[in-house]
Amino acid sequence: MLSPDRLALPDYEYLAQRHVLTYMEDAVSQLLENREDISQYGIARFFTEYFNSVCQGTHILFREFSFIQATPHNRASFLRAFWRCFRTVGKNGDLLTMKEYHCLLQLLCPDFPLELTQKAARIVLMDDAMDCLMSFSDFLFAFQIQFYYSEFLESVAAIYQDLLTGKNPNTVIVPTSSSGQHRQRPSLNETSALEGVEASLFYQYLENLCDRHKYSCPPPPLVKEVLSNVQRLTFYGFLVALSKHHGINQALGALPDKGDLMHDPAMDEELERLVVRSRLHRTSQKHRSHQAVAFGFRRSDKLEALESLPSASSTQMPYSCRWESRE
Amino acid sequence: MIPGKYRTNPGRITPSNFELRLTKDSSFHNRLLQHDIEKNYSSRQGDGRVISPSPRNKPSFVPTTTNMTDLCGLELKTGANSLSAFGDSSIQTPTKSRVRQGCHSAGPNVSGDHVYLGSSSMPSFPVLHRSSEEKILYSDRLTLERQKLTVCPVIDGEEHLRLLNFQHNFITRIQNISNLQSLIFLDLYDNQIEEISGLSTLRSLRVLLLGKNRIKKISNLDNLKSLDVLDLHGNQISKIENVSHLCDLRVLNLARNFLNDVDDLNGLSSLTELNLRHNQITSVRDVDNLPCLQRLFLSYNNISCFEDILCLADSTSLSDITLDGNPIAQESWYKHTILQHMMQLRQLDMKRITEEERRMASIVARKEEEKKRESHKQTLIKEKKRLTICNVARKWDMQQNRVTSGPSSSQDGKDSDVPSQDTCQLNGSGACVYPEEPGSLDPVLSTALQGLAVIENHLVEVDGDTLFLYGSGALESLDRNWSVQTAGLVTTVSFTFIEFDEIVQVLPKLKIKFPNSLHLKFKETNLVMLQQFNALAQLRRIDQLTIDPQGNPVVNFTLWKYYVLFRLSHFSMQKINGTEVTQNDMIMAERLFGILAHVASSELPQYRLLSLLGEVRKKQFRYLLEGKGKKSGVVSEENNENKRLGGENTNRATLNYTTRDFYTEKLEEIKEKKKFCKTYIHDLVKEAAEINMKNESLQKLWPQMFIELVRDAVIEIRNKNSYMKLCLQRITDTK
Repeated sequence: MLSPDRLALPDYEYLAQRHVLTYMEDAVSQLLENREDISQYGIARFFTEYFNSVCQGTHILFREFSFIQATPHNRASFLRAFWRCFRTVGKNGDLLTMKEYHCLLQLLCPDFPLELTQKAARIVLMDDAMDCLMSFSDFLFAFQIQFYYSEFLESVAAIYQDLLTGKNPNTVIVPTSSSGQHRQRPSLNETSALEGVEASLFYQYLENLCDRHKYSCPPPPLVKEVLSNVQRLTFYGFLVALSKHHGINQALGALPDKGDLMHDPAMDEELERLVVRSRLHRTSQKHRSHQAVAFGFRRSDKLEALESLPSASSTQMPYSCRWESRE
Repeated sequence: MIPGKYRTNPGRITPSNFELRLTKDSSFHNRLLQHDIEKNYSSRQGDGRVISPSPRNKPSFVPTTTNMTDLCGLELKTGANSLSAFGDSSIQTPTKSRVRQGCHSAGPNVSGDHVYLGSSSMPSFPVLHRSSEEKILYSDRLTLERQKLTVCPVIDGEEHLRLLNFQHNFITRIQNISNLQSLIFLDLYDNQIEEISGLSTLRSLRVLLLGKNRIKKISNLDNLKSLDVLDLHGNQISKIENVSHLCDLRVLNLARNFLNDVDDLNGLSSLTELNLRHNQITSVRDVDNLPCLQRLFLSYNNISCFEDILCLADSTSLSDITLDGNPIAQESWYKHTILQHMMQLRQLDMKRITEEERRMASIVARKEEEKKRESHKQTLIKEKKRLTICNVARKWDMQQNRVTSGPSSSQDGKDSDVPSQDTCQLNGSGACVYPEEPGSLDPVLSTALQGLAVIENHLVEVDGDTLFLYGSGALESLDRNWSVQTAGLVTTVSFTFIEFDEIVQVLPKLKIKFPNSLHLKFKETNLVMLQQFNALAQLRRIDQLTIDPQGNPVVNFTLWKYYVLFRLSHFSMQKINGTEVTQNDMIMAERLFGILAHVASSELPQYRLLSLLGEVRKKQFRYLLEGKGKKSGVVSEENNENKRLGGENTNRATLNYTTRDFYTEKLEEIKEKKKFCKTYIHDLVKEAAEINMKNESLQKLWPQMFIELVRDAVIEIRNKNSYMKLCLQRITDTK
C-alpha cells in the first residue's frame, strides 16, 4: 500500500522522512560488520532477517544508543523491549532507585546515557529526592514520555521558561494580549497558587510547536485535553500529566495500558517454563548434558514469538514501516 | 673437742669436725659434707640435720617436714644427689612421725636425767646446770631441744661452749647467751623469736639457724662478721637487708619468707648458696654481683618472664639453679632459653644438664634466632606491604577523584561538592583500614624501611589459598610463570583498587593460570553496573563471589544478587557475599531476569546472535543449529564436550560485557562504518531515485511517442508502390 503523501515529496526526501534510509544504512553497516557470518547463509537471508526484526522491534536489542534513538520506531521498540524484559521486576513489587533503573536500561543498551534516566526520574521525583525509590510503572511511563518525546520536551521546556520569565517564546506570534500580564517570578520552587504558567496560553504555543516540529510529538488534541483540565500548570506538572495520560500512551503504542502493565500471558508462560527448567537444572547437575539440549537455543521459541508479535507491531506502532516495493 | 677422737667413726659427723673443716679447709669440708649427705640419703632417711650434735649414727631428729625440705636445701646442696631433699614434702610425711618418735624415745639429751634446770637467782630465768660428767663428755656443746623453754635459760660456767641447740622450744627472745663468746653454732630453729637480738657479742658465731621463727626483719647481725651459714627460712622477712657486711657468708637460706624481689646483694662476696624458694619473688636483680654464687634456688616463686631474671645470665659462677614452680617454667621456651643464656649451668631444677640438652638448646636457640630474623623480615615485608597498599589506595583515590570530578565540573556547582566529600570519605576509610603507625616500628625496621623509598604501585601476594592483587599493576603478575603448585593452591582471588574493566581484560588469563580459583573477591573495583557481571561468565567456575560495598556501588542495588545468580547460573554458585544461595534465590533470579534471557536469545536475528556470541560459543551455537535437524536422541560426544566446556546457557551468552574503553572504540568504529554506509546508501538511493524518475518520465512520454512512431510508420507505408521501390532501392544499396 502506498501512502498518498508519498507523491508530495521527492523520493529521496520521502525515504529519509520515513527513516527508510536509516534502516538501509544500518542494514548495510550490519552487513559489513558481520560479513563472515552472513556470507555463510546468504545476503538475501540477512536482509530478510534484518527487516523482519525491524518490523518486530527486536532490532534494537543490545544496540548502541545512537541507533536506538534514531527513529521513533526504534524508540517505541526499545520501550517495548524494556517493558517486556523487566516487567517481572515490576511484578515482583521491587521499588528501585534511578541508578538501578539505569542499570537495567544499560543491560539492553550498554551506552544508554544517564542523563535521560535522570530526566525521567525527575518527572517522578522531586528535585531534592532523586535517590528515592520508584515503582516500575511510575518510572516506565515517565521514561516513555521523556525518551520518546525528548526533543519535543526540550522545546517545551524552552517555551515554558520563556513564558515564565515573560519573554516572547521564540518568534511565535502570540495572538492574545501582551505577555507581561503573565509575568511570573522565575523561581520554580515557588509554592504559591500562581505557580507555573497559564494552561491555555501554554497550549497555543505548544500547538504551534507541534505544527512545525520535525520530531515526533504527542497528538495536539490530546495535549489540549491534558491542558484543558487545569488553569495553570508547571512544567513538571505538565510532564506528569503527559506521562499519566492514557491516550498518549495509546497513541504512542509501545506499552500496554497501565492496568495491563503487568499482564503478558505469553511471556509469563514462557517464564514458567524457564523457571521449571532452571529448577531441574539446579537439582540435577549430573544430567547436565541432557538438560543442555533443552536449554539450547530453540528456533521454535522464536517462531512462537513471531506469531505473537505482528498484531502488536502493526496495530500499535504509529510509525510502523511498510516495506512493500513500489511496483 | 679433739677432732681425731671423732674421726674414728667415719660415718658420723660431729659439730667439732664440721667446725674444724669449716675453718681450715672448705673443700675438705665440702667433701665431708657430701660424704655425709650421701650416707644419709642413701639410707633414705631423708634427714638433713647433719650438724646435729647427736653422737649416734642415726639422725637424731627431724624438724617438721615442710621446713625440713627448706633446711635441707640449705645444707645439702653440695651433693648431686641432693635433689631428693627437694622432693615433695609428702614423701617425708611418714618418716616424720616415725623419726620424731625415735627422737623422743632415744635422744640422749631429751631426758631430764642429764640436764637440770633449776631456778636461778633471778626470778624469771631458769639457770642451767649440767653434771660434771656430762660436761666432760660434751664439753663444747649443749642441747636443749624440746624443753618447752619460753626463755633462754641462764647458762653458767659453760663459757667454752661452742655449740648451742635450742630447737623446738617456745623462746620469744634471744637472751642470756652473750657470755658464750666462743659459740660457733647456734640453733634456734622452731621457736617464737620475733627479732634478731642479743647476738652482738658472739663474734665467732659461724652458723646461725633461726628457721621457723617470727622474724620480720633481718637486723642486728652487725658484729657477726664471720658468719658462714645463716638460716632464716620460714620467717616473715620481706626484704633482704643488713647483710652486706657478711663477707664470709656462704649459705643464706631465706626460703618461705615474704620476699617480693631480690635486689641489692652487694658485699656477700663469699655467698655460694642462696635459697629463695617459696617466696613471692617476681624479679631477681644483682645476682651477678655475687662472685661465688653457685647454687640459687628460686623454686615456687612468681617469676614469669626471662627478662626478670636476666641477671642470672651474667653470673659466671652459677652452676645450679632451680626455677620449678614458677610461671616461667611452664613456658615452652623455658628450658632452652635458660640453657642458652647460662652456658655455665650444670644443673637446672635438680637435673644435671647433659651435653645433648645443651646441644638441643643451642639448636632451638638458633632456630629461635632464625625465626626472629624471619619475623623481622616478615614485619618488614608487612610494613612494606602496608605502605604499598596505602600508596595504591592513595593512587586509587586520586584516580577516582579525577574520574568523579570530571563529569561534576560539567554539572552545576552545587554538585561539585559531592565528589570531593566522597573522596574524603574514601580517604578516611582507607586510613581506617590501613592506619599509619610509624611509632610502632622498632628503629632497625624503620631504617630498613628507608631502603624501600621506591614504593611500588601495586602489590601481589599469595597468602595460603588466596591471591591478593592490589592496584592495576598487579594484574600484570598474571603473565608471570606461576608454579603449578602455587597456581593449583590458589582458590581465592581478591582484587582491590583495580578498575573492574581492567580486571575483565585479564579474566581469560586468570582462567588459565589459576584454574582452581573458585572464590572471587572485589573491593574498590568500581563495579557500578549490573552488566559488568556478565564478564564473569567467561570463567571456568565460581563458587563464591564477594563484592565489598566499599568502592562498588553496584552492591547498593536491590537486584544485584539476583542478576549475578541469573547471569552466572551455570556456575551454580554456593555463596554470594558470604550468604548461602538457596533454591528460592535461584528461582527468584530466574523469575526476574528469565525473560530478558529469553528475549535476548529467541528474538535476536541470527546474524546478531552470532556476532554477540564469542568465538567458542559460535561454534557451539552453530552445532546446535545444525543438530536441530538431526534426531534429538542422537547426542554426539562432541556436543557433550561442548556443553561441558561452555556450561553456560546459550540464552544467557548473549548478555555479555564489553569494557567501556572497548565499547567506545567499537562505537567509533561503528560511526566510521555508518559514515561510509550513509554516503553509499545516499549515492545508491539517489541513483535509484534518478533512474526511477527517468523511468517515470519515460513512462509518461511513451504513449505519445508510440503514437507518433506509429503515425510516422503509417505515413511511410501509405503509398505502397513508392514504398516498395524504396525498399528495393535499400536492398540494392546494401549489396
